[in-house]
Amino acid sequence: MSTRESRRLERLAERDAAIPVELYGLKRGTVSVLTACCVLFAAFTLIPLVWVVINSTKTQANIFGSFGFWFAAPFEFFHTFANLFRDVDGDGTYSRWFLNTVLYSAAGGGGATVLAALGGYGFARFRFTGSRLFFGTVIAGLLVPITLVAVPLYLVYAKVHLINSIWGMILPSMVSPIGLYLMRTYVQLAIPRELTDAARIDGASELRIFFKIALPLMVPGLMTVLLLSVVGTWNNYILPLIIFSNNTLYPATVGMGLWSQHATTSGDANLYPLLVLGGLVTIIPMIALFALLQRYWRSGLLLGSVAN
Amino acid sequence: MSAISLENLTKVYATGVTALDGLNLEVGEGEFVVLVGPSGCGKTTVLRMVAGLEPITSGTVRFGDQVVNGVSPRQRDVAMVFQNYALYPHLTVAENIGFALTNKKIPRGEREQRVRSAAMALGISSLLNRKPAQLSGGQRQRVAMGRAIVREPSVFLMDEPLSNLDAKLRVQMRSEILRVHQAIGAATLYVTHDQVEAMTMGDRVAVLHDGVVKQCAAPRELYDHPANLFVAGFIGSPEMNLYEASVSEGELVLGSQRLPLGQAGTLLAPYRGRKVIAGVRPEDLGLDGAPGGTTDPTGHAGQATLAVDVRVVEVLGSELHAFFSIDAPAAGQGVLAAATGEAEGDLLAGSAHNGVARLDPRAGVRSGQRVRFGVDTARLHFFDPDTGTAIR
Repeated sequence: MSTRESRRLERLAERDAAIPVELYGLKRGTVSVLTACCVLFAAFTLIPLVWVVINSTKTQANIFGSFGFWFAAPFEFFHTFANLFRDVDGDGTYSRWFLNTVLYSAAGGGGATVLAALGGYGFARFRFTGSRLFFGTVIAGLLVPITLVAVPLYLVYAKVHLINSIWGMILPSMVSPIGLYLMRTYVQLAIPRELTDAARIDGASELRIFFKIALPLMVPGLMTVLLLSVVGTWNNYILPLIIFSNNTLYPATVGMGLWSQHATTSGDANLYPLLVLGGLVTIIPMIALFALLQRYWRSGLLLGSVAN
Repeated sequence: MSAISLENLTKVYATGVTALDGLNLEVGEGEFVVLVGPSGCGKTTVLRMVAGLEPITSGTVRFGDQVVNGVSPRQRDVAMVFQNYALYPHLTVAENIGFALTNKKIPRGEREQRVRSAAMALGISSLLNRKPAQLSGGQRQRVAMGRAIVREPSVFLMDEPLSNLDAKLRVQMRSEILRVHQAIGAATLYVTHDQVEAMTMGDRVAVLHDGVVKQCAAPRELYDHPANLFVAGFIGSPEMNLYEASVSEGELVLGSQRLPLGQAGTLLAPYRGRKVIAGVRPEDLGLDGAPGGTTDPTGHAGQATLAVDVRVVEVLGSELHAFFSIDAPAAGQGVLAAATGEAEGDLLAGSAHNGVARLDPRAGVRSGQRVRFGVDTARLHFFDPDTGTAIR
């Protein structure tokens, strides 16, 4: 069966599976109100994005002078786009910052996923002295905001020479308490204990069980963790702000923060169109990643709850 | 020498729950032993301890003359079929069956050949490239069996392998499993809660209750001579009718009725003037005063009749179950039905019964009737009310 055909059948099945709202004990009116609420929320979320898309085509004067939700001549998109990748006033270039962001996110997010897979599986499948305490401690890390540890973190980094080092950004990004928690829960719910027991009886070593049996079944969960960690690192602002003073190491968030500062203080250099377009270019990879992985993302969050 | 021997096997969980309490069991070379018991009696725990998946609190597991307590599952040379089959969902049938051989680093040619012959033996050759999700329950069951037999293990463990199948397939797979067992000849320990499986499959059956083997014997022996009240009540469907009775001069006093004991009188002599628990199998009750079942060919059987009130009649096609009440207090497992009747008061009073007879489907019995059942007293079972053990 072709992929297109199977997708069509999937859509039909989805439509047939839709249960009339009356069977949920809901009135049509209630559904309309709820739908309106959802539409309002979607609009609230999407309006800034629409504004960014529209205003990325405008000149600085038009950004402030024209109606924000419609286009205004001249169409400056390509001009701004070309400018985006040049050095602005010696502050550094967007392209450098963008590549830094990609590097930190790939290494940090990828590393976080690998560690969450190993740790989550370990906590889910093995009991060892202090395992509950260790897990509790890791989870407690979720409750501590990075702003709270900013100063001690800086002092520690200074001691171990991680200030102005890419490892200073990558290593902490590889630690994901939420990823670990998600993977432990995912393994507990989605990988029956009998499966690992069966593999043990079949003579597989623990490493082989992990790689050959558990890991392939953990993929949906791993994709969820990957997505969360990559997005977390991609959008991280505080950590790079603390540890980097060299602007060639900045990720896009901090780099554009610098531009934004200049734009407000100097009011010069037509920086606003660059900021708007830079924001747009920065979020596109994240939107693409979500679209690409949303199948896993959904099943990763839900699959465990309906494991049979 | 036994292939598997379990000595004083004890399992106490961290929560303080004792799952097994000094269990002893032997499985001979090529023997098929069934471990049967109600849910939560510890049968799966036994299997997991034999497989090496569960730490042993105390006691010894031996394979042949080797103690395997500290040996890891992968080095025990056991194969196990799990209740939910535990097939690797992302691997094909061939990869599932061959997984253990890959782990043993068996050369590819030999591995494929062994997978093919296992598949052929189980009639799943055409499914080798499918994934488990594309198989029916029965096919998955066969793949799980294939995964176990391909290894040619010395010990074969099965944990309720038929419980997820429908009734018809279960009957079919029972004989299939026995056929495979005869072909490979490995010592097999088979866990089930289904006494039909236990009775039809086992060379010997071990009845487990509260972590202790209550009796381990051949199925016929277990049925005809239960060693205690638990086994008497557990084995047999419908279960044995058990009543509190007392023994007087050559007679058994059952409520307001008296049954001549015949030869059993000698057996019960020490209990004269005391209480005993008397049991009679539903098929040992016969209509119109004639005893049910096979009568004693020697003619020494004590003949007696028992007047009962029939409450409910169930016709099953091949037989008829007449649920009745007598005025003797029920004992053992059968207590439940009577207790429910009493607890619900007037509502169910009319249907309260404390016994059942298995009769010919054409027997003209109706609910509400008072009938006399013939009882062969030589086929009665007696148990000590204090210890619950059989009086023999």
